[in-house]
Amino acid sequence: MVHQQQLRFSTSGRGTFNIGPQVDEVISQSGIQQGMCQVFIHHTSASLILCENADPDVRTDLETFMKRLVPDGDSMFIHQDEGPDDMPAHVRTVLTQNALSFPINNGRDTLGVWQGIYLWEHRTNPHKRKITVTVMGE
Amino acid sequence: MVYQDTLQLAEKGRGAYEITELVADFIKESNIRTGTCQLFIHSSSASLLIGDIADESTKNETAAFMAQLAPSSDNVDNKIDKGMDAIPEEMRHVLAQTSLSIPVSNAKPGIGVWQGIFLWERSSHAVERKLTITVIGD
Repeated sequence: MVHQQQLRFSTSGRGTFNIGPQVDEVISQSGIQQGMCQVFIHHTSASLILCENADPDVRTDLETFMKRLVPDGDSMFIHQDEGPDDMPAHVRTVLTQNALSFPINNGRDTLGVWQGIYLWEHRTNPHKRKITVTVMGE
Repeated sequence: MVYQDTLQLAEKGRGAYEITELVADFIKESNIRTGTCQLFIHSSSASLLIGDIADESTKNETAAFMAQLAPSSDNVDNKIDKGMDAIPEEMRHVLAQTSLSIPVSNAKPGIGVWQGIFLWERSSHAVERKLTITVIGD
């Protein structure tokens, strides 16, 4: 059985957003007890991560790490049509994930207690982001 | 339903090559309307990535960024049999993706308007690449 649904999110600019509850809602609606769930983001300047969810400092530190790894306005980049965060947003997306895939058991996600699903907005301005959730199984 | 095949891609030299159309044709051939599609590259010096197709320069700059992270001037003496670029390329491979997973919606790749699927060939030697595509769904 396949159940597929699209979700839309409005981000408030660069940062991580917990989308776990919305994904869980789709899994629950699918009625699938055992199988897998794929979460896919339709953008090249926002991405997905599975990340520690207990201490928000972890995500703040990830943001700090990314800023150092891929500095905004780096003179190496020529693609700056939409500002100094434009090309870094593309690189940050390539270094993280477009899609996440995890098992479903007993009609629920099987993520670890400290694992959370986050949408990572890499642009500094707010954006509307589209995600497709596909649940497959029995 | 499962539809799978391994395709041989002709060597084109270093660079990023868009394979979105090839994937779209494969999905159409599968007759699967809703589900997921997994792409897997059987190589450690070529990888897969979803990139921005709005501006040609984003592809080149992702490559430039990766080159800066793992420069080809690094010492490679234990990989001399594969040529001087072997180790840094494999470093970049770890930072990129061996497999991509996308949704299939309405018998098409369910990806964003600005998203393109690329094979990122990093070897300067002439090698044919094997790509396995698996489409699962209804």
